Amino acid sequence: MDISVVFPTKNRAQHVKRSVRTAFKARNVREVIVVDGGSTDKTVEIAEREGARVIVQSKLTYPGKGVAMRDGAYLAEGDIVLYLDIDIRNLSPEFIERLAEPIIKGEAEFVKGCFERAAGRVTELVAKPLLRMFYPELAKFSQPLSGEIAGLREIFYKVEFEEGWGVDVGLLIDLHRLGVRITERHIGYKDHDMKPLHALTDMAYQVAEAILKRAIEDGVADRLWAQQYISRLESIELSEGYV
Amino acid sequence: MRTLVIGGGHPAYFVINAVKESDPGGKITVIEFTKEKAEVLSKTFPYAEVLSMRIDEVDDYIRSNSVVLDAVIPATESDSLNLRYAKTALESSIHLTITVLNNPLNEEIFRKEGIKYIVNPFSHISSKVKEILGTYHVNIIYEFSRRNILICGIRIPDTQTLNRLLDALPAEGVASVFVTVDGSIESSIEKLSIGGTLYLMGERDKIKKLLKKIGGGAIHGP
Repeated sequence: MDISVVFPTKNRAQHVKRSVRTAFKARNVREVIVVDGGSTDKTVEIAEREGARVIVQSKLTYPGKGVAMRDGAYLAEGDIVLYLDIDIRNLSPEFIERLAEPIIKGEAEFVKGCFERAAGRVTELVAKPLLRMFYPELAKFSQPLSGEIAGLREIFYKVEFEEGWGVDVGLLIDLHRLGVRITERHIGYKDHDMKPLHALTDMAYQVAEAILKRAIEDGVADRLWAQQYISRLESIELSEGYV
Repeated sequence: MRTLVIGGGHPAYFVINAVKESDPGGKITVIEFTKEKAEVLSKTFPYAEVLSMRIDEVDDYIRSNSVVLDAVIPATESDSLNLRYAKTALESSIHLTITVLNNPLNEEIFRKEGIKYIVNPFSHISSKVKEILGTYHVNIIYEFSRRNILICGIRIPDTQTLNRLLDALPAEGVASVFVTVDGSIESSIEKLSIGGTLYLMGERDKIKKLLKKIGGGAIHGP
């Protein structure tokens, strides 16, 4: 089985060279795809020079992580599509190999990566409580919002990608609904840039929306309650005072 | 002519209509990925054959129908898919492949992949905006709300505008200064030339009368 490594990115020129080169060193990597969100620095130029296939997001929207992930999956030719943040400073070929291993061994069709670090605030305060409430079978995942994931290419054709920050938890729930075998794989320590606090407000809102939308569809959440929850969440500004 | 259009969103809608208009007797096949959308498309375009299939089935469809297909037009809302299907069509020696872009920034990437015919709907937007802006050469810089005074800049794009200005000036109660193409400032009307900008300040009614005389639309600001 061969692997397409996909890096959704924007203005990360300082990380591209190292990440693309490292990805190519991992076993079974067939191609590296950089999906660019409209960079104004040399991200695209460097990625092309390093031999990555480059495409710009079909829709330039912020946050457009889901659009980038969808474009990556649709361009990929490998049996496995593996997504990574491009700013992982300690990225190694083993990181990629560990993430893809359960699929290559036939133990899973979709793998969520998890790391040695305390789970993020949105994970602990929003995603996990809502998953425990509506999808308790997914509560076992320690980092359900992890963006380091791998899956058989064909499974990504069966789901719709959320455009923004809800994409990771949305994929987790949708693939679970389809009966895809999912596992979580510990892939070591991750040294990367943390999101600024102000970005977490939008993230919390979009993650909650992605979970609740599906819970309503599945008839496990009351629509009115869900709407009230989201409107309250929208009014919260995560700031230093909340940390 | 048998044309295959892939996609059922906004871009595909315009493509299907365009194909029908340019080739009324031809056969149009549309591929859409979701059944619900495919049903809607069947009703919207009763003359087209609408197929619903998975994303990964389309490549095989193109390959297996390459003998009968005259044209393939990938028009999904994902540039990745459009690129992928266009490449499959090229590899299958389809006579004509036209690809729709969702993001104009991908045009060069598509060309590098050997895609010859690329429809970039956004190029029309920029050329149209430039065209419209080009016909508007009067910029109202400031209108004093309490006083009856107005300041404006007039770009001189052509001989016609230049001659009209020379006929209309000097005008009583209107002060003028002219900035040439190379940036030098002239106070004499005789120095007016194409490409420069004439700034006028004076009574509002007089300036508006003058603008009417020389013609051209106005952009208001700030």
